[in-house]
Amino acid sequence: MTRRAFLIGIIKSFSALVVAVVLAALWYVYPSVSKKRRLQYVFAIDEDELPRRGVRKVEFKYAVDDNEVLNRAFLVVGESGLVIFSPVCTHLGCYVNWDNNRKEFLCPCHGGRYDISGRVIAGPPPKPLNRLPVKIESGKVYIGVTV
Amino acid sequence: MGKVFDWLDYRFGLKKPHARFLQRRVPSDLGYTYCFGGMAFAYFLMLASSGLLLSLYYVPSEKEAFRSIVMITNEVRMGWLIRGLHKWSASLFIISIIFHTMRVFVSKAYRPPRDLNWMIGAMTFVLVMFSGFTGYLLPWDQKAYWATEVGTAMATNVPFIGVDIMNAFRGGPEVSGATIVRFYSLHILYLPLSISALLWAHFHMVKRQGISRNL
Repeated sequence: MTRRAFLIGIIKSFSALVVAVVLAALWYVYPSVSKKRRLQYVFAIDEDELPRRGVRKVEFKYAVDDNEVLNRAFLVVGESGLVIFSPVCTHLGCYVNWDNNRKEFLCPCHGGRYDISGRVIAGPPPKPLNRLPVKIESGKVYIGVTV
Repeated sequence: MGKVFDWLDYRFGLKKPHARFLQRRVPSDLGYTYCFGGMAFAYFLMLASSGLLLSLYYVPSEKEAFRSIVMITNEVRMGWLIRGLHKWSASLFIISIIFHTMRVFVSKAYRPPRDLNWMIGAMTFVLVMFSGFTGYLLPWDQKAYWATEVGTAMATNVPFIGVDIMNAFRGGPEVSGATIVRFYSLHILYLPLSISALLWAHFHMVKRQGISRNL
């Protein structure tokens, strides 16, 4: 083997090594999924605090990885029973408010409007309000959240 | 050279101003001992690139430093490889510099006009040792903590202002979260930038003066 061929071989294998490390680095930079999300039921209010008809806003706390999280939801009691709505507007994620005079959920950001069953009446939201899983056990209302 | 390079060279004009450097004649009787400087620079480049990657995941804080190191090693894809490259390059960097210094000493390459380059090299070596010292704290494990505790306490031997120097290094009377932030900043900002400037001067002089003849 000539010296020139040997050096070219060295340069080629070294370049291959560099390419391999660069690929590993790209893989390294891409975020890996940190954990699996799971559903957890969190206590919201006692059952006898529920309204007979209408909407009630609740705030509830729970822990995610040792950090306390404050979350909120709308409890709606209608003909079909209790439904829990996430207050997060499906447009860009602002918190909606319940307007008791107009009987609508109003989003303050871009004027999205939802009726009492979460359906979009007007504005930019693409989907109805998200429903959260609910569980009533021994007189207590639990809301399902993903943590 | 290749088509891509020619395309670039036609517009950027890389070849002509660097012809003296790219096409210079290297003395034919140089042995492998003359490779240590280049090896050290290769390790410097590896440290810079792996360090850039590590800084994407490392969190320089009292509570999260160790946790983020464990995460890099065990959870981040290829994290063990990037961290390993950084750790081993650091050790080999310093070893290469020591061999490079020995070669320069033996071949008497420190004599004028290369005496200034020897001084620059010595300053680079001091900064590299500081980089090693500051980087050693960052994993924030027992070994790192006590090494820094002992290392910074050495500063108290300086007369009159020793304790003040130690406090300045620690960012307080004790090794704490403030020390991590200080060492992190030195390790990734001040020291690499200073070393780069010194290396530029180092290489500039090597190019201008050529390589010293053997004994």
